Amino acid sequence: MAKPVVKKEYTLSERIYLWEILKGMKLTWGHFWFNFKACWRPGPHTIPTCWQYPEDRTREISPVFRGEHMLQKDDKGRETCIACGMCAKICPAKCITIKKGKRKEGEEDKYAAKTYPAAFEVDLLRCIFCGFCEDACPKNAIVLGQNFELARYTKEECILDKRKLLMNYRKAKEEGKLKPPRKRVPVVPAPPKPEKDEKADEGAEAKKGKPAVAGKAKKKPAEKAESNEKEE
Amino acid sequence: MDDWLIAIIKVVCIWVWVLLIAVVMTWVERRGAALIQDRPGPNRAGPWGLFQPLADGIKLFTKEEIIPTKAQKLLYIMGPLLFSVPAFSAYAVVPFGDKIILGGKEIILQVSDVNIGFLFILAIGSMAVYGVILGGWGSNNKYSILGGLRSTAQMVSYEVPLGLALLAIVFVYGTFSLRDISLAQQGTFLGFLPNWGIFKQPLGFILFIVAAYAEANRVPFDLPEAESEIVSGYHTEYGSMRLGLYLFGEYVNLVTISGVIVALYFGSWHMPYIDLGAYLGPISWGIVSFCIFFLKVSFFLWMFVWVRWTLPRFRYDQVMGLGWRGLIPLGLFNIFITALFIQLTV
Repeated sequence: MAKPVVKKEYTLSERIYLWEILKGMKLTWGHFWFNFKACWRPGPHTIPTCWQYPEDRTREISPVFRGEHMLQKDDKGRETCIACGMCAKICPAKCITIKKGKRKEGEEDKYAAKTYPAAFEVDLLRCIFCGFCEDACPKNAIVLGQNFELARYTKEECILDKRKLLMNYRKAKEEGKLKPPRKRVPVVPAPPKPEKDEKADEGAEAKKGKPAVAGKAKKKPAEKAESNEKEE
Repeated sequence: MDDWLIAIIKVVCIWVWVLLIAVVMTWVERRGAALIQDRPGPNRAGPWGLFQPLADGIKLFTKEEIIPTKAQKLLYIMGPLLFSVPAFSAYAVVPFGDKIILGGKEIILQVSDVNIGFLFILAIGSMAVYGVILGGWGSNNKYSILGGLRSTAQMVSYEVPLGLALLAIVFVYGTFSLRDISLAQQGTFLGFLPNWGIFKQPLGFILFIVAAYAEANRVPFDLPEAESEIVSGYHTEYGSMRLGLYLFGEYVNLVTISGVIVALYFGSWHMPYIDLGAYLGPISWGIVSFCIFFLKVSFFLWMFVWVRWTLPRFRYDQVMGLGWRGLIPLGLFNIFITALFIQLTV
């Protein structure tokens, strides 16, 4: 509901206006004086609200910032991407190209899964940094990092191949700027399907109300619901 | 011969000095605005961005001059000149210090001490309207003409309270000469106040400063160039150095107005309570009086910036209402009171 407008009668001093001007000038002087004093502080970042960008890169970037892409590796240093192509599928700008490769014998320490991307290209000129690829990825392999300095000299440089993507990961790891593991956002559960038996329906309904209860009810017919849960 | 030489030197010096202040003012305006708005402002060119006006000047000089095809060429070209030439010449009668004695010759620190003093300033000030309205008309652009019309109405109406406030000053001091008025402001008033015009004419000062802001087209009366309504008013179609002349003329106007305010209401080159002229030699007193005068002027220049970033713009009918229904009756009242006091006391 809109806030009702209360019309206020101006007092005499407000109608004369001069005193109010002086009050306003006191306010602006406060800002001026604060910032004037701040100007004499050492270092590039003096005025609190302004970062002198090229000199001063101390500004904190949100850990969930969507910058330049990278391909993550797991704890054992293996590539986690399984080349499922979901990121390429969901990408609204169609900037991801993946070529699938099959893991051979003796490559277990290099690739985590049986398939791996033989080629993985991200076209930065097309990318709109929506972060859908990140969300779609089942293995948390592709991630948008914190680097926002994307200017390049040629168009070829703007296409990130797998080497560059892994390099981005290495750099982010060295700088300690890896993205924290995603927090699973609860998704609206799928509606109960008619062919399931009663228990499954119960589970699904309970899940609607309290997802935690549904997680506990580990019944075989409710497997589908559970797998949904897992994906969440 | 000597007099001529001295006059020319004075003219050139004060012209360069006023130009310099105007140049620095563009920087002060931008940095001051920035600090008031919690940002640093131009700080790249030179120390603290002090060379920014220089960079702006070079840019304006080297830009291509474009005259709109449908503009009236003569008026379009004359506009900025008619605006800036009066702005530059108005400072001629404003003092910038007491006097200096060089080689046994007494030099008054004022280009010309004419006995019509601020009548000259009023006359020259009204000339600036021509520059604005001709520039607006000659551009052949609806925003320009709107800006020009607004400025004409505004400047003509605010000339009246300005004149009324000055008339009360004439009642008090009995002269038009700015130098004589400045000299008369020495000593104390009622035993404890500095003998400054503001204490004799408090209402007159308020009238004068409000009208002066309107005359200079400054916020809160910057209707001729209201960006949010009419692009940038009368100089919408101008570019390169012609625009530079308009902007420059505005700052020179500010210097002149601040000089007049200081000379009339704030004791010119006098320090409150202390008569430094009695303690200093003739040359050093000349320099010190110059410094005191421009310290006071710089305060008022800063106030123009300060007020600009404090107040929002008036609506057009509010400007006219304030001028005709507020300031002019108040000005007449002020004259009446002043005349009554003088009649009863003298």
